[in-house]
Amino acid sequence: MSGSHAAASETAPRRGVIRFVRRLWRKSSIAGLAVYALALGGALGLASADWATSGGYPFGGVQVGAWTAWPRAGAANADPYTRAVNARRGEIPLAVGEGLLLTAAVDDAGQALDATCTYRIGGGTPPARAWTITVAGRGPREPGRPILREGFTSTEVLRSADGRFAVMLAPDVQPGNWLPSPRASGPVRLALRLYDTPAAASVGSLDRASVPAITRLGCAS
Amino acid sequence: MRLVSLRFVYATLIGLVLAGIVHIVAVLAIPVLSEKDAVSRARTSESLDHPQPIYTVATGDDPSPPEAWLPIPDPAVAVGVCAYDLADGPMRVSARTGSLALSLAAHARRGAFYAVTDQAAVRGALDLVILTRAQYDEALADDENDPSRDVRIVAPDTRGFVVVRVIAGLPSQRPAANAAIQAVSCTTDTATDDAPTGKDSSGKGAGR
Repeated sequence: MSGSHAAASETAPRRGVIRFVRRLWRKSSIAGLAVYALALGGALGLASADWATSGGYPFGGVQVGAWTAWPRAGAANADPYTRAVNARRGEIPLAVGEGLLLTAAVDDAGQALDATCTYRIGGGTPPARAWTITVAGRGPREPGRPILREGFTSTEVLRSADGRFAVMLAPDVQPGNWLPSPRASGPVRLALRLYDTPAAASVGSLDRASVPAITRLGCAS
Repeated sequence: MRLVSLRFVYATLIGLVLAGIVHIVAVLAIPVLSEKDAVSRARTSESLDHPQPIYTVATGDDPSPPEAWLPIPDPAVAVGVCAYDLADGPMRVSARTGSLALSLAAHARRGAFYAVTDQAAVRGALDLVILTRAQYDEALADDENDPSRDVRIVAPDTRGFVVVRVIAGLPSQRPAANAAIQAVSCTTDTATDDAPTGKDSSGKGAGR
């Protein structure tokens, strides 16, 4: 009984507020609505512009297997969003004549790359004078963690007799080309940079077989 | 009541249209107004004769120095920038090729407009001259008397920078890569130097 009394006394002021807002609403003039429209437009427009340009490039990626190629990131005819992202980050992207950047945040099965898992990044690369595979992790590096290795270059990677290679991205020591996970846990991003490559001008010619495959071998639970 | 809510719906619609306009204007304005973009940051190197190292690769136990402002640099590639202001005159970039792969790319506010690697070098030398359309026409006029083999690139803006990248394939090549960045020279062909040669060229031609 006393409980329902308390509820009724709580709803009374709320009803009063609603009535007050309604009265204000009825009296709201064209000016009030104009201010509302301007505020909505300004806030939504700026927030969406910030959101679209604060992370990676929103457009211009070409999906090749697990990798995404960014052929137009450094071109003079890049889209406005790419230019805005570059300007905000102070990035100097690779020009078409210099090379091509490919990034990967998922493996070949489409699962997000995770620092606790072991991956095999293997196969061949598109023709290029030099290439590097690096961990381009999101977020800052863990302070206590020693930097053992951040990537492999085409010169230093160990290859099998047929010229193909396999880089192991793993938290624990691996034989062969071991690329240590950048942090104990969390998402990982890989960057494959091809330098002086004809593929930069013809990304459409790249297919799944020409880029390194990213295979998940297992995860430490 | 219904009339009021209809007005409210109209106001919301107008607000959404405005949001779209503001969004487009903001995205287009970011590269123009940004003070953190590469062109603005590279401007400190304008007075230097050599590229300003913006990412020196780690050598031995020395990590990369904190001057690096590239967001996701390649740990095996040394990067330097030379800013130019073509109002002071055309900029000449000269590189000698070595054992390491080197590339030059000219950027303006809108992005890269020219890139060349050391495979295009003639007798081990790579010379670029970046100039405005007017300076290019002037240089062409001078060519009739004194042909030159410079690679001339007309820049879309008067301000921009040239980025020099040297790839260190092996950790032992990293000190050489950092040194190779410093070995490139970026000089301004000043207008005071050009003016006398332009005037003298007819006399020189006659003398020879």
